Amino acid sequence: MELHQVRYFLAVASTLNFTRAAEQCNVTQPALTKGVQKLEQELGGQLIYRERQLTQLTDLGKEVLPMLERTLASAEAVRRRAQEFRRKEVAPLKIGLAPSISASLVLDPIAEIAKFVPGLHVELREGAAEKLVDLLLEGEINAAVVGDVQDMPARIDDWSLFEERYVVVLAPTHQLANRPSIGIDDLRETVLLERAQCDVAPKIQRSYFPEEPPHLGHCSGHDLHLQHMAAAGFGVILAPEHMPRLPTLKTIPLEGDPVSREVRLLAVQGRRYSPALDAFVKVTRLRDWSFEVPNRGLPHATVPEVARAPA
Amino acid sequence: MTTTRTPTANRFQPIDQQLDDAPPMPNQTDKTLAQIRTELLTTFSAADWESYNHLVGWLRDTDVASHALKVGDDAPDFLLPDADGRLHSSEQLRRNGPLVLSFFRGGWCPFCTAELCALQAAKEEFESVGATLAVVTPETRDFPRQLKRSLGLDLKVLSDVDHGVAMSYGVLFRVPYETKAHYSGLGFDFGARHGSPVWMLPIPATYVIDAEGRIRSAFVEPDFTIREEPAQILASLRQAASTP
Repeated sequence: MELHQVRYFLAVASTLNFTRAAEQCNVTQPALTKGVQKLEQELGGQLIYRERQLTQLTDLGKEVLPMLERTLASAEAVRRRAQEFRRKEVAPLKIGLAPSISASLVLDPIAEIAKFVPGLHVELREGAAEKLVDLLLEGEINAAVVGDVQDMPARIDDWSLFEERYVVVLAPTHQLANRPSIGIDDLRETVLLERAQCDVAPKIQRSYFPEEPPHLGHCSGHDLHLQHMAAAGFGVILAPEHMPRLPTLKTIPLEGDPVSREVRLLAVQGRRYSPALDAFVKVTRLRDWSFEVPNRGLPHATVPEVARAPA
Repeated sequence: MTTTRTPTANRFQPIDQQLDDAPPMPNQTDKTLAQIRTELLTTFSAADWESYNHLVGWLRDTDVASHALKVGDDAPDFLLPDADGRLHSSEQLRRNGPLVLSFFRGGWCPFCTAELCALQAAKEEFESVGATLAVVTPETRDFPRQLKRSLGLDLKVLSDVDHGVAMSYGVLFRVPYETKAHYSGLGFDFGARHGSPVWMLPIPATYVIDAEGRIRSAFVEPDFTIREEPAQILASLRQAASTP
């Protein structure tokens, strides 16, 4: 398939009007129609219903649209990169991180991109996953790294990066600190520090405390605050395995089938990727995440083969 | 002389079903890719033959390869991560000499793994004439790493995340339904491998791109079982070096 054919189809898909699409692509309408027909022939079916008053996408058209948008964006990103570099533009990249996601996860990808994007200006925003999805759709951030998300809107591209366990983090003076692992009964009897806006909390509740809630002590939305409280002996934290720890804390695995969650990368479907965002998405999707979670094997070993790929 | 290692895969055997820590393939042989192709074709089942004939016939009928970039065209620039997540730009890869850029289908395809082993064996010869070698896969996540490990490759395996580079070179096509059904039946899930539910593949292609970014040789063959021999690539590199 050819770039110009895909451009023509995407213009028709966005305008639902062949005349306006031809104007947008700066070609004649017959040329545009011919390009779309050739693409339909290659894709094995009609992409667009052409009725006098009603132009709309067929099921096949709807199926291939998001992927063709991304492929075209990917193809165009480098060409725009060259143009933007010539103009010496600042390249903003706004990344949202859920409270349970450490900024340490994105530092290496950012360092890699900075080698190729001279004007790179990164802004990190923290927020609950649902809030980050809203910010993505509003264009306030370009990408987000989150844990589990309920009810992902169809317009969000969603890639699974790796799966990680939750572990117990506590002070070395804590009464459970010398155990090789910690079981559910121990957890029920100890004070947990509450992680505000925790996306995994419902899963932990279901797995460990299905009948009665745990003893919750103090609360914070910031992992570092929780760690300081744990170090001071106020209670224990259930924390994602990748989260960097204060040197004064100890990590102990959970017994049995530990709670785990997927870490996911989100971006908005169909929106034009800046060169910086394009590079960020590519590097993040290729990264060997087992470095971040050193106690695990391959990062995708337990992720089902079909990740929740963008529809 | 083209020296290749015989691929361990018989027919279509997913590379990721092999042991992760399997040793590099033994038995270096002097077989050409054409000879390996002949051997691999003898392992085809009736269903493989049907699928193969359908796909190659469809690619020829729709003339998909006519979009592919040709000798004399400007090679589109790209910025792609390698199997370790490090970015490589096309400008950087061809800064000091010609770039051999080969698009392959994935680690699940025995014709591709044969080609990769042949390219690996020829890598030093390419480098001796000042060329850089990079191969491009549509696979994402940890599949490129698994491929390198399984085959013992020391090549730049670039991941064409979302197929943008294959599309820019005009070698991208959507897998027809019949082929998709056959490959699915063999256990391949391109949705997971490519990170996209739309099954797209490149036509295997090998380009020699000079330091100025112009295409000096192009091998694009809709019959995915036929690949350019490293000896031929080397001849193209020598010819490019001798003609401005």
